[in-house]
Amino acid sequence: MLEINSVSVFYENALALNDLNIDVQQGEIVGVFGSNSAGKTTLFNTIAGLTLHLKRREQRKGGERITITGSIRFQGEEISLSKPSDRVEKGIILCRERHPVFRDNTVEENLRLGGYMRSGSEIKESLQFVYDLFPPLLRLKNKKAGMLSGGEQEMVAVGMALMARPKLLLMDEPLLGLSPLMQKEVVRAVKKIRQQGVTILLSEQYARPVMPIIDRGYVIENGTLVVSGTGQELMDNPEAKAAYFGM
Amino acid sequence: MEASVLLYGLVNSAVLMLTALGFSLTFGLSGVANFAHGSLYLAAGFIAWMILHYLGLPFMLSVVLTIIIVGILGAAMYRYILMPVRGIALSEVIATFAVGVAILEFFRWAGFVTYDFNLPSFVKGGVEIAGVDVDYQRVIIIGIGAGLAALLWYFSHKTKIGLALRGMAQDEYTALSLGIDSDWAAAISVGLGAALAAVAGLAILPLGLISINIGYDVLLIALAVTVLGGLESTTGLMVGSLILGFASVITANYLGPQWSEVVYLVAIVVVLAIKPSGLFGKFKELEERV
Repeated sequence: MLEINSVSVFYENALALNDLNIDVQQGEIVGVFGSNSAGKTTLFNTIAGLTLHLKRREQRKGGERITITGSIRFQGEEISLSKPSDRVEKGIILCRERHPVFRDNTVEENLRLGGYMRSGSEIKESLQFVYDLFPPLLRLKNKKAGMLSGGEQEMVAVGMALMARPKLLLMDEPLLGLSPLMQKEVVRAVKKIRQQGVTILLSEQYARPVMPIIDRGYVIENGTLVVSGTGQELMDNPEAKAAYFGM
Repeated sequence: MEASVLLYGLVNSAVLMLTALGFSLTFGLSGVANFAHGSLYLAAGFIAWMILHYLGLPFMLSVVLTIIIVGILGAAMYRYILMPVRGIALSEVIATFAVGVAILEFFRWAGFVTYDFNLPSFVKGGVEIAGVDVDYQRVIIIGIGAGLAALLWYFSHKTKIGLALRGMAQDEYTALSLGIDSDWAAAISVGLGAALAAVAGLAILPLGLISINIGYDVLLIALAVTVLGGLESTTGLMVGSLILGFASVITANYLGPQWSEVVYLVAIVVVLAIKPSGLFGKFKELEERV
């Protein structure tokens, strides 16, 4: 479904992604693991088109020089030069790290905004799904999103991404900063989202909490692929095990 | 005497709010300080005058056409002039100010300098309120101000485009990742602000003759109201208009009309010296700025 072929990203002369090759098959949950500044967020932003957007803006005003090379194909189609909105149209939705929400808007306004590219009936249908998935949101729907707790904001952020009706959902560190209880809640939600036929690529620093749900994983360091394989294969790799499984 | 101060203070406040509305809206939604605001306001007056006199179209049709034309002009200004300097605040100010001066001086060059230019009132005549004569146009201005405020609230809270624009203003990258296009959003917000400048011009210009210098005065008023009230704040816009509206009427009444313009300048200077964020301005939280 998603094929990333020798993608490299430079910020000025700093290498953020180094010749990465990643592929995701329809219906899979694939994990990307790595420490801070390993390049996880750059990878996700590059798939969603945000890096390209930033590059074009910087180019226009003569700012930082960003270089993106390589090819990104989604459902067989080259998308590496598409605008973010075109990629959303195709079904690639990014749920950004640190669960950003629109703080001045109510929960329901946030969710409706998530369905910005979709029709009225689709919004209605997705809204029902999101409220079923995260029942607390129904109670909070008229509250300002900025007033919610971190865990609740995470639900709103994931909910917004779902409202956009993803085919491929990119979740950048969905468990970051959440309580163990809330982490379980999100993992449960991810499983349910997959049951809807959504393919998921998610990133985490530590693999252990998402180990039970991922089909395969990639470990990256300094923008470079270190190992990849099924969950079991990663566990059996001594390097990866020590660094990312906390064992 | 006192009733007239109260009434004209209110009318003047509505005039100021209407004048500053487009400027404040564009800044709030896209962060662009549109220094061509006054020129768009004035251009609306001349465009409507030309449509009325050269094409002879009915008044209401001319009004609607003018609002659309000026709105498109604003969006085009974003697309062709602002887009390349997007994100560099000083360049945005210089670019919009240059466009504004170009528009005003174009009209001067084209000969719009005589005392022949005025727009008809929406409704002729007037009414007496508490012993003070007020013409209908001034009453209508208050109505338009209140109506627009309600309409804009509805637009920004209930419509898809309005929510998208507010989303873009709050968190660009999250908005982008949901499929909202940032240049599209900014073009719409500059266009919308320009259309509001046109509405203000068409409502307020019938009160007098149209002259080029109004363009510069309007920019000054828009700046004074938004700086006093606080940029990006709707409450601030209203309170700023009320304070300056009454202050200038009281000044004109007791010190003489030549002093009323000074009120705006003094307001800008005093606010910038004491509380640069304005009365209701929000300093962005640290985490939002980094």
